[in-house]
Formats: sequence, C-alpha cells, structure tokens
Amino acid sequence: MARPRNTQQINGTQSSLAKGRATRTPSPETERPTGPLSIVVPISERDTVKVNHYNSTELKNACDDAVKRYLSRPELFKQIHLHTDVRLALGWLSVFVAAGTALYGYKIEFEKSKTVVSIGLVVYILLTTLQTLYSYFVESHTIFEGKRKSLSKRIITERIHIDSTTIPVSKSPLTTSVSPSNSPSYLLTVSYVRSTNGGKSLLAKGRAKAAQTYSAFFDETGTMDQEVFERWVGELVESSMDGKLA
Amino acid sequence: MLEELKAFKKLGVRHILLQILNFATVIASGLMIWKGLGVLTNSESPIVVVLSGSMEPAFYRGDILFLTNPSNQRYKTGDITVYKIPGAEIPIVHRVLETHDVSPKKQASTRSKSLVPHQRLLTKGDNNYVDDIELYQGLDWLERKHIVGKVRGFLPYVGYVTIAMNDFPQLKYALLGTLGLLALIQRE
Repeated sequence: MARPRNTQQINGTQSSLAKGRATRTPSPETERPTGPLSIVVPISERDTVKVNHYNSTELKNACDDAVKRYLSRPELFKQIHLHTDVRLALGWLSVFVAAGTALYGYKIEFEKSKTVVSIGLVVYILLTTLQTLYSYFVESHTIFEGKRKSLSKRIITERIHIDSTTIPVSKSPLTTSVSPSNSPSYLLTVSYVRSTNGGKSLLAKGRAKAAQTYSAFFDETGTMDQEVFERWVGELVESSMDGKLA
Repeated sequence: MLEELKAFKKLGVRHILLQILNFATVIASGLMIWKGLGVLTNSESPIVVVLSGSMEPAFYRGDILFLTNPSNQRYKTGDITVYKIPGAEIPIVHRVLETHDVSPKKQASTRSKSLVPHQRLLTKGDNNYVDDIELYQGLDWLERKHIVGKVRGFLPYVGYVTIAMNDFPQLKYALLGTLGLLALIQRE
C-alpha cells in the first residue's frame, strides 16, 4: 500500500528523502521521527464519512475529526486532552452548582432560601463566564494538541499544535452560484517543536500553514475522500516536522 | 452487545461526557434563569398562568402574567395580586379591595420601621360577586407573606401551552424527550 511520494511538493532536502525510512542510519539528532505519511491506514479500518456539504460547520467538523483520527494513530502523536478536560470540569461543576441551587430553592421556603440561591447564581454565572473566556482566549481555534516521546539515545519529546478555521467565500456579485470552484476553504496551521533533555535543548521547530477548498475533499454527495485529505494533512505536518518556519 | 461496546470505545469516554454535558447545560441554564428571575423580582414564581375566569374582562384563562414583589412598597387598593393560601395548592390572582396597616406592637428590634411587612389585605376577583373571605380557609385577611407578587404585565393566550401540558402530561414528556434527543445528537 506504499504510495509513491510526490517529491516536488515537499520542500525538504533531497538527501533526507533519498535516504528513505527503512534504511536510515544517521545520528539521532538529525533523524526525523516517523511522520504521519509513512503510516498507512488499511482500507478495512475506514468508516465512510458523509456530511451535509452545504453546511460549512459540518464540513469543518468532519475535517477536524479526520485530523484528530489521523494524527492520534498508534506510533503517532498522543492527543493532549487538556482543553476538553477543562471544559468538562468547568461544565460539570456549573451543572452541579445549578442543580444544587435549584434543589435548595425547591426544598427551602422562598424567603429563607434567597441568600443561598443568590450565592449559587453568582457562582454559576462566574463558572459560565470562565468557560466562555477559556474557550475564546485559551482554546480559540485549536483542534489538536499532541505529544510524542521516542527513545533513540536520548529521549526526544515532540509537541504538535494544530489550529483550523474556515475561510468563507469572498462575496462578489458575480459569483453567487454554489459550485465547487466557489467553495469555502479549510485553513490548517501546524506548529511543531522537537526537543530533548526535558525540553531544554531544542532540536527542531517548524510552523506550516495551508488552505484548501472543501470541494477538494468532499464530492457532490458529501462523502469525504479521506485519503486525499490525509495526504494533504500528512504533507503539511511533515513539512512542519522538517523544521520549516513558514 | 459487542458491537455497541466497540462503538462506545471508539467514541471515547470524553465524547460521551461532552454530549451529556451539552444536554445537562441546557437544563441547568434554564433552571438558573428561572431562579435568577425569582431572586430579581423577589417573587417565588415570577411568571404564572391564569387558570380561572375570575378576573375577566381583564385577564382570561390562558393569559401569562409577569409578577414582581417589591418588599419595600405598599400594596394599594386596585393592585392585582397573586397570592397563595397555606394549605391551598394553586395560587389565585385577584384585585386588592382593602388594605389595613397594623403598627408593630412591643417589638424590641427597630428593623422594620415601615409598615410594609404588616399590611393586611382583602382581595376580590373582578368577575366574582363576593370578596375572597371564603377562599382564605379560616383567615380573616391576607398578609404580605402570602403574596407571591403584583401583576406588572401580561401576554394573552400564550399560557394555553402550559395548560395543555398540564392536562395532557404526555405532551410534556414528548416535548422534553424531543428537546433532549436534539441536544444529544447535535454537535456543538
């Protein structure tokens, strides 16, 4: 199932590509750890992804899910669930505060319960505000944060951070029809750091950004061509792993 | 069974928790808005539905009423109040006919200087022939602590939805079930 690499699209050095993965024997620091393109997904494990291709939110979500699935396969990055966990913690805490406050207000007579209910309300509003601020400022466009530790002479730690946004179609009076050439685009921003010595010595740092119209990945029925998508993502991720600062 | 377990594992615990959280957040925010409204208006139940025709032609059955209960204002004759007699299940909406102020006797604390907490009220429905003495279940007058609030505004007809849901509980469960399903299967 090995796919021939289209070497013109990768701006890496020719020598590192020519070495090939199986025959590489350079020193550990210059060796680039396994990139996502070299790990192939067998067809039997794929589920078809079909979305409403007129809805750009669904398109973005499908692409985000595909990125997460693609990069968290075994041998690749391990997803850091910090943002999800914070959202879960704050969310469930606010739900319990709300439930407790409502229960208290239900059991205790109104006049006597007013102080406690007011306190509960304030705490709830605080938690909800915190949640909103966190997801707007800290999480913002992040869709994937991953980490990988590999051992080759020294422990090499890699961290990858991926943002995604949808670029809408620029409105102009001449292009009001819905067609594949008029589709919104998916913008992926990848930032990558490879370090060792507990994060103290930096081995590589790269940032890559690419946009592609959704119509390149989804056909007229809304079915996602996962192989094309994964190849695009894989190339972007590997170019950031090569230490490019785009 | 094995298939479902496999699907669950694929989804991940976090994903399931997130979906349930979406549903729970909708309910929690609804509860908090209701309680917040109650605290703001100082009323136990700031939005009520008119069930009887005793206030016609002002209010008809199925109207929604918006209440506030300002603790430092006197209730005057002519105010429309919603009150609840201890022992009676449903609150009643009638107009204040008479008010009497009783001065606090032999109270060591000087906190309640105003006569507001010591008002005594008599009410009557606009569409009734007699005042509400019969409804007071033994009391001779209403006190402020029985009052849920004073009517500030109303919306006609909208309350029929609540009446329908109370008369046909299946409607209530159907509505809740549909909302819950929508919240669970939808993505952020």
